Order: sequence, then C-alpha cells, then structure tokens
Amino acid sequence: MRIRALVLTALCGSLIAAVGAQAHHAFSAEFDINRPVTLQGAITQMEWINPHAWLHIDVTEEDGTVASWAIELGPPNSLVRRGWSRNSVPVGIVVEVEGHQSIDGGRRANGGSVVLPDGTRLFTGGSSPDDNGDQ
Amino acid sequence: MPHRKGALAFLILLLLWPLAATGQQPARDIPRMADGRPNLNGIWQTLSTAHWDIEDHPAYAGPMSETGAIGAAPAGRGVVDGGPIPYRPAALEQRDLNFANRRTGDPEARCFMPGVPRANYMPYPFQIVQSDRDILMVYEYATSSRMIHMGEPEESLIDTWMGTNNGRWNGDTLVVEVTGLNGLAWLDRAGNFVSNQARIEERYTPIGNAYLRYEARIEDPTVFTRPWEISLLLYKRVEPDAQLMEFKCVEFAEELLYGDLTKD
Repeated sequence: MRIRALVLTALCGSLIAAVGAQAHHAFSAEFDINRPVTLQGAITQMEWINPHAWLHIDVTEEDGTVASWAIELGPPNSLVRRGWSRNSVPVGIVVEVEGHQSIDGGRRANGGSVVLPDGTRLFTGGSSPDDNGDQ
Repeated sequence: MPHRKGALAFLILLLLWPLAATGQQPARDIPRMADGRPNLNGIWQTLSTAHWDIEDHPAYAGPMSETGAIGAAPAGRGVVDGGPIPYRPAALEQRDLNFANRRTGDPEARCFMPGVPRANYMPYPFQIVQSDRDILMVYEYATSSRMIHMGEPEESLIDTWMGTNNGRWNGDTLVVEVTGLNGLAWLDRAGNFVSNQARIEERYTPIGNAYLRYEARIEDPTVFTRPWEISLLLYKRVEPDAQLMEFKCVEFAEELLYGDLTKD
C-alpha cells in the first residue's frame, strides 16, 4: 500500500512539474506577443537546464555586427518529447528561430520553433503560444 | 549386473549433482519476487564515509572553521578498489581545485541532484520500488529519483543529473548501465568527479535478507587512465517506522546561491 502510494506520489509529482512549467509564469509577463522575431544564427551554446532550457545563437545583423541572442525554450524533458536530443543542436550549426522578443527589447526571445539546417522544425514547449504540445 | 552398476552410478551422480553445479549458489534467505528474481523493495542506506571521500582518508577539518568539529570529515576507509583513483594529471589538478573550493563548489551544497553513484551513498536513505517491470529509486536527498528501465535499453538523448539508466538481471545481481550523466555532479564531498563522457556499470547483489552489496565500475577516458571500481554495503532500514522523510534543500541553499542578488 505504501509502495503504491509512493509510486503514485512520484508520478503525480512529475505530472505536476510538467503542467506547472506551463502555468508557473505567464508568457506575457516577460515576452511581447506583438514583437515576433525570426532570427538566423550559429549556435554558440545549448543549456539543458530547468525550468527553461536556453539556446544561445550569434546573429549577424544587417550592418555586419554580430549580436548574441538568448532563446528561452521549454524544460529539457519537454524538448525530448518534441524530438530534441543533444545531437540536434551542436555548436556551430546555423539555425532559424521563430519566436517573440522580450518586453524590454533586449536580445532575448521566447522561442516558438527552431529550424535545423536540414529543414527539420523542432517546437520548443514551455510557454510559447506557437507550441504544438507533447508528441 | 551392468544395470545395477549403472543404476548405482546414476544414484551417486544424482546425489553429487548439487556439488557439481557451477556458478554461485543462489542465496536462499533473500526475499524474492513472484518470478523468482530478488526482491529489492525497501529502504536502504550505507554506513560508509564514502559521501565524505571515496578514497582512504584520515579525519580532516570542514570547509568552515565557524562550525568547528561539526562539518569535519570523519576518518574512513576508501570504497575504491585497489587504492587511489587513477586520474589523468590534468583531472587530478581539477579534483584538487574542487576540494579547495568545496564549500561553495560542491553541488550538494547547492542542493543539486547528487548524480550516480553518489546518490546511493549519501547520508540519507533511499527507497527501491521494484515492480514486475521497471525499478524506481527514490532518494530522500532533494527528492531525487531515477527510473531503471528493465526492458529494451533506452538510448540517452540528453545529459541529465541522474543519467539514463538501463537495467538487466545477471543471476541474482541487478546490473544497471548508466550513461547520459551531465558531468556536473561530484562523486563525494572531496571533489572527486566524472565528466559527461562517463559510463557507469552498477551491480546490486543481495547477500542476505537485509544487505546489498553495491558495486560500480566507472569508465571515463577523458578523466581517468583506466576504468576503476567502488564497492560498499547497503543496509536495509528495518525499523517498523522506516520511511523517507522530506529533505527539500533548495531553501537551505538560497543564501549560498542567490545571497549576492538580494537588495540589502
């Protein structure tokens, strides 16, 4: 009986963690639905961390300068459920990111999806309104 | 006449057969599941000092003189087979640096998950929940847990604190292959570590109804010159009221982690 309760608690805990990640903050508190961005850049770092994984890319601006952007993604577990793996995002590959810029206009965006060099589109989970849900 | 000799030989063979059986005699006094496999369900904890330092060590002062003898490491025999850990020279320097910075650098101080194998010899109990399919290990420390997949081995897709764990039975020994560790956890409070290239093979062998022999083979060519092993005993917590308590340590680590961000 105790064992069953423990397993149920562990399962509920992980369920709550998954649902909680989408409820723990509002997208609109940090990002602007009216500032959609499409960025192309080379990956410099992928942080597989909770509660949000972060993808860092170097974007070459129109005037030639290179700017570093931070893209907020969902939690690593959500990414895995959307087809991400450590081999998806090696440093150096050029990806296209669709998302929404932060309210303060800084080089930070909530990522909705990421298109890999071979054309594969990976959705990002988390609080993005463009997300397609667990697969 | 020949038939009687044959019958006699057969009878002798029958009586001596158990002695001729090769391999380990299965332990008769261990609990078993319905399918005959060992039943590892229960709450387990080590009594070793491995969580302080997995190598042989005398008692030594803790990282904070303010707490005096509290926080000092007790003396302990190492759990490493065959002497010191075979570090590469650069990795040994990193280990010594870790030790010097352990007050703030130890992921345990920050309430990060302990990783494998450290989770199994923390000074907190853990519970093995064994179903007829997979095996769940739940750790009191920071409510960490890991699922041992007993079916077809799963590939590790990303690096995590507790790794990707694939298990199988080898006789009465549970063998667990661990990959996909993130290289951020330590092996003890002394700064011993592995990288995210580590492959760990654990072996859990019941040696009585309240004891498990726990062994782990650690392979990481980027850190060590050869694979090496640790070995220790896990004791079953058989008190009638034995249970995991709650040790959610994030609040204890808040000052350490974020103290410099507060306004005052």
